[in-house]
Amino acid sequence: MNAPSPALVAQRPERLRLVGQRRQLLAIMHQRLMFGMLVYAGIIAIIALRILYLAAFGDHAGRKAGLTALIPERGDIVDRNGDPLARTIDAWTIAVHPTKVIGDKLALAQHLARLMPEMSEEQYFALLKSGKPFFYLRRRASPTLVEAVNALGEPGLAIEREPDRLYPQTTLAAHVLGYTDIDGHGVAGMERAFDQYLSDPATRGEPLTLSIDSRVQQALEHELLDAMNKFSAIGAAGVVMDVHTGEVLAMTSLPEINPNVPGAATPDARFNRATQGVYELGSTFKPFTVAMAMDSGTIKSFGQQYNCPHVLPAYGHLVHDTHPFGRICTVAEIMEESSNIGTAQIADQLGTQRQKYWLGKMGFLGSVPIELKERGRALTPGSRWGPFETMTVGYGQGIAVAPLQLAMGYATLFNGGVYHPPTLLKIRQGHPLPRGKRVFSEDTSYRMRALLRLVVMKGTGRKADAPGYRVGGKTGTAQKVINGAYSKTINITSFAGVFPMDDPRYVIVAMLDAPKATKDTYGFTTAGWNVAPVVSGTISRIAPMLGVQPDMNREPDMSQVMPFVHDTKE
Amino acid sequence: MSSRSFHSLFMVASCAGAALGCYLVSLRVASERAALEDVETRIVLAQRDMRLLQTEIGTRGRLSQLERWNAGAFALSAPTADQFLKGGFELARLAQPERKVNFQAPVVLASAPAPANRPVIGEPETDDSGASAAVAPNALLHEASLKIETREVPVRSVVAVPQTTAKSTDKPAIAAKPATIKSVAKPGLAAAQPAATKPAPKAASGGPKATPKKSVDKPVGTAAKAVTKPAWIAKADPLAPLPAKHPGHSKDFASAR
Repeated sequence: MNAPSPALVAQRPERLRLVGQRRQLLAIMHQRLMFGMLVYAGIIAIIALRILYLAAFGDHAGRKAGLTALIPERGDIVDRNGDPLARTIDAWTIAVHPTKVIGDKLALAQHLARLMPEMSEEQYFALLKSGKPFFYLRRRASPTLVEAVNALGEPGLAIEREPDRLYPQTTLAAHVLGYTDIDGHGVAGMERAFDQYLSDPATRGEPLTLSIDSRVQQALEHELLDAMNKFSAIGAAGVVMDVHTGEVLAMTSLPEINPNVPGAATPDARFNRATQGVYELGSTFKPFTVAMAMDSGTIKSFGQQYNCPHVLPAYGHLVHDTHPFGRICTVAEIMEESSNIGTAQIADQLGTQRQKYWLGKMGFLGSVPIELKERGRALTPGSRWGPFETMTVGYGQGIAVAPLQLAMGYATLFNGGVYHPPTLLKIRQGHPLPRGKRVFSEDTSYRMRALLRLVVMKGTGRKADAPGYRVGGKTGTAQKVINGAYSKTINITSFAGVFPMDDPRYVIVAMLDAPKATKDTYGFTTAGWNVAPVVSGTISRIAPMLGVQPDMNREPDMSQVMPFVHDTKE
Repeated sequence: MSSRSFHSLFMVASCAGAALGCYLVSLRVASERAALEDVETRIVLAQRDMRLLQTEIGTRGRLSQLERWNAGAFALSAPTADQFLKGGFELARLAQPERKVNFQAPVVLASAPAPANRPVIGEPETDDSGASAAVAPNALLHEASLKIETREVPVRSVVAVPQTTAKSTDKPAIAAKPATIKSVAKPGLAAAQPAATKPAPKAASGGPKATPKKSVDKPVGTAAKAVTKPAWIAKADPLAPLPAKHPGHSKDFASAR
């Protein structure tokens, strides 16, 4: 600054003093200015840094919360091909706040009764006068109705969108999917079993992929429903399963329910006959007995002979046959004609211990191993399991299992003898195939193919054959237990089939509960007449979809059994 | 004040300017980001709409509905085992060998004899052959049978009955152009001239004898015309029956043959 230069002339002392004071003053002023400037600079710097920081990392005014990704309120459920089976969508909801209604309540009640006739004008009026703060008028309203209600212009009416669970395929696989309550929590089926997964924000973005194939499911449901109506059965169940992985491709229980309106279903319809219901499935058990006997060495060949009289007295009881041989018969014939007497002797040779051991290994003695919470538990003779019970269990009486368990048993028997727990989730990257455990030897599994193919080619299951698809299987007709006693007239008929028999890939189990005889069945209510055609019809529909190539020239190795079948009828 | 005294002021101003610049940049970045987020939000909203629409389509076209439509209208059923083929060879086996229509063979062969005859006829009258060419092919087949029968008979009959007049004999040579009744009588001419309106009345007037002769002529002269012309020829004969001339006439036939 303009500091005074050293004076050449001595100045007056007062002036010198003034100069000194001024210089001091200036210095102070400089200091203060500098301080103020630093303060301002600091503030500006802080602001600038803050701005820079916000610009780089911070939120800004234009940012909107949410909606950066499409995560539904509740996870989707899709089938193995990705087709949606359950979805949550925004549905229109019409509600009313009676206290906020400012128009003429009577006129409003009239309009509402006209638009939504489920309640009368008086009821609407009473509702509006009730003084309650809030009332739902319609959930999942159609857009046209919403438009009409909106046109009333009443501020007391609330029209909102709220998430709603929709099952696009309606009744398809309803027992597998289950349904949700009004709050969107699963109360049945997979909705219940995987409620946590479906509602957790971290996981619900990814749909739950079931092993169900909706086309197979539809075919099975349709064929079963047809049969159920035709034979006036009170219920039906069906399962289609991949023998190698245990994946359930289709599982149905009839009568059906519509999960979109679960409240409309009867308790009987809600009951899942495929997993919850346990039934004495009769002769469909016989192949297991034969396989056990083969594996344990009591049966060496299908030509092994048993005496098959008209009635077999055993342990103080009598075992009967529907078509008694009255002669010596081979294992192949026993299976072909589904002889209780023959199978009872095989089971007797096998013995109780070994039977229990194998049934346990096959998962027939516990509860149904499936993800669903609605699952039953097999009923066995328990402590009464003696030699006679072994016989009856051998031909499927005295033991009650769920149809799914039966399918599981056939899958085990025909996939080479390895048990895989059934699953409703698709086997894929996140859900690998669990390690199976061996139950039957590979050789037994292989030889059983011809035996079951024989039943369909020449035995009781002829109507189950689907030309070209090499169906093998076993019919089962069991008397239904009514009020603690076996009914003479009411049956539970079932069929367990496997196809293609020369290289088993899929197992199908169908069951009809109390079918009636019709003209077409000549008065019979046995499985060969009513449920076997269901299997045939279903297989011929689903096999092409599942990639099973029909071939009229392929068959399993029938030389195992054919020499031991004596066709006395023909 | 000197520039030195403003130095700090400049510093402050430049600092403020820089900060402002920085802020503007960040503002710009922020607005771009906001725009991006706007787009993202719109994408999500569009996805939601798509999801809704897909759900609606899926619900309307649910499998049970398709099944109902199929039962009611389409009646499609699962393919049977024999509808599956293992490969190209089986597919090829299904196809019947295609019948090739040989457009040339039959027609050309039928008309083949005719051209051979025509040139002969054509020699005396080139015009006739040209004109008749179009008509000839259609009638060829019929004529073939007629010719053989008629020829044998006519040759002899002609010789036996000398009916042709002098005029008629002259005409063969000249015949082509003068379309008189007499000229009509000539086989070659008659065939060539489509404009003969008189045949019917003349046929009535003409005696029964005439017809055989004419029929004889025709086969030789115009193979194709035979069917239509018999009537015309019949008239020509009665007009000029001259025994003397006939020999010449017959010679013509022979040559024609």
